[in-house]
Amino acid sequence: GDLGPFNPGLPVEVPVWLAINLKQRQKCRLIPPEWMDVGKLEEIRDQERKEDTFTPMPSPYYMELTKLLLNYASDNIPRADEIRTLVKDTWDTRMAKLRLSADSFVRQQEAHAKLDNLTLMEINTTGTFLTQALDHMYKLRTNLQPGESSHSQEF
Amino acid sequence: GFSFLQGSKLEIPLWLAKGLHDSKRRIISVELPKIYREAWRTVFSADANVVDLHKMGPYYYGLGSQLLNFENPENPEIAQTILQATDSVCSLQTFVARFRRIMDSSQNAYNEDTSVLVARLDELERALFHLGQKGLNDFQCWEKGQASQITASSLVQNYGKRKLAEVDG
Repeated sequence: GDLGPFNPGLPVEVPVWLAINLKQRQKCRLIPPEWMDVGKLEEIRDQERKEDTFTPMPSPYYMELTKLLLNYASDNIPRADEIRTLVKDTWDTRMAKLRLSADSFVRQQEAHAKLDNLTLMEINTTGTFLTQALDHMYKLRTNLQPGESSHSQEF
Repeated sequence: GFSFLQGSKLEIPLWLAKGLHDSKRRIISVELPKIYREAWRTVFSADANVVDLHKMGPYYYGLGSQLLNFENPENPEIAQTILQATDSVCSLQTFVARFRRIMDSSQNAYNEDTSVLVARLDELERALFHLGQKGLNDFQCWEKGQASQITASSLVQNYGKRKLAEVDG
């Protein structure tokens, strides 16, 4: 699409890839998103630790954005190190919650689960493991029905 | 060919047993390996995590599922169903009980030594464990920024080496 106009000193919204590129060429200063702030992230981290459910994150790409901005433009981000730690802590809490969820799901042998507010990054990290495990469980469970049609040929 | 006395006990491969098995003609009956029998089932229900499934298996789940194909013609059908069901339930419950540890250790980010745990997993569990590890490794790779680095394909690297050999030879 169209971008600009680029006037010196005036902030303009651009796609992330362009922002990073311009920054690397030292042609601009990056303005971090509103949520990339110590106070806000502390709130999110605390809520994540308190609640059993997943906190809606300010961006579905919070991990990716944090990594990019802190790697290429940490000089434009106040208290960058604290932000890095806060985001990592939140991620760790969410992953632990995900595993806890998965375990109780498996124990109760549920058929369906609904996990709101997960981001793709989280889903992809545990996803393959979880779907395979559930696959195996399904096969083991269908073995419970006696009869010739229920045995699994491949394992 | 060979002929066997009725009632003799033999060890044969699973595929052969399956082929010979016929509930109507009763050519063979299958004796459950001890890990699937009553005594071991008690151990599993006490704490499935302590069992070394690799030593006992290593295809505990796979073999367990296959064994359900064999009806023991001596038992009344109902009891047989229950036995099969109990076997399956045990396998499933075992899987469920051990799941947490496999998940946690495969996704543990601290590179702690997991070799002790893995040694006691059966093959199905090991495959799962490796999947969990892969998920974690991919994430860490991304985190370090390696995901966006272009590395030479091993194919190309070998090509270069071969070319040199041709020149020398």
